[in-house]
Amino acid sequence: MSASLNGEVRAEPNLTPLLDVVFQLITFFMLVINFSQDNFDSRIKLPVAGSARPQDDAARLNDERLVLNIDSKGNLIFNGQVLSADEANGKIKLEAQIARQNIKTLRGKVTQGEALPARVVIRADRDTPFSPIFAMIKTCQNNGYEKFDLKAMNGP
Amino acid sequence: MRSMEIEIPVTPMLDMAFQLLTFFILTYRPAPSEGQFSMNLLPAQAATEITKEQPKDSQTPSLDASLRTLKTTLRAGEGGLIGEMTLADKPITDMAGLKTELESFVNDPVLSFDQAVINVDPQLRYSEVMKVIDVFSSLKGADGKPKPLTKISFSELSEGPGGANP
Repeated sequence: MSASLNGEVRAEPNLTPLLDVVFQLITFFMLVINFSQDNFDSRIKLPVAGSARPQDDAARLNDERLVLNIDSKGNLIFNGQVLSADEANGKIKLEAQIARQNIKTLRGKVTQGEALPARVVIRADRDTPFSPIFAMIKTCQNNGYEKFDLKAMNGP
Repeated sequence: MRSMEIEIPVTPMLDMAFQLLTFFILTYRPAPSEGQFSMNLLPAQAATEITKEQPKDSQTPSLDASLRTLKTTLRAGEGGLIGEMTLADKPITDMAGLKTELESFVNDPVLSFDQAVINVDPQLRYSEVMKVIDVFSSLKGADGKPKPLTKISFSELSEGPGGANP
């Protein structure tokens, strides 16, 4: 607070500590924000399993992944679009072909029947019957995928 | 000496900082605590019943280890929930019973199996399957250390009674 000669009183609050706090809050939100959402689809209610382990961040960055979101009716949701069973099979086959092409570009050749290094992440709704999920697992296996991550919520 | 006081106006900076803070608060969505079961799901192989090790002098040749398979069968009941559950053809009533039986298999030094096959009813809900996988992944050895069973194959039960259609 300061006073001038003519008796006028000016209030000058010290804003620096407030600015410090606001910058700290901004830093916090910048660090925890996740724009990619990691192929997360909010329509899917995952099952709850106590011993499901959180994914290692390093593995998430390094591993090539094919994320399959499966809704409660057994349809594949890929990039926000609901696909029929035939479209889903075609999509998985196409992804496997792209993965093989990438390996071929990197190494020069691909061995016939070689397993793909990519992990298939299955995010299926808790109410989905097993049949369509199994059909998709079989399609993935037939296209060379062997490593699977079955997603669940960490529960009690 | 005349002192000079320099006052940097922080109000515009604070305005901008508040705007940034508002943006981040509005776009912030805490990620749900998702976990996962990592496993190598191989196509289901021909399953052979789990048996005790044959004595060395037995006439019966010992089975190839890759064929030793622990078979779990899950049949759907009302509403897609588990209606009937068997482990190596032994009826199991609940998840606690399944865990006890599985730990007795895992900790038996004589019995050995290379993989587990879960025969699942096509109508069974995924949440029920995950409960069983949860049990397989939370097994403990005789020393109390975690001994999860992750070599699992799935097969689908055929419509007929007792039949599996891998």
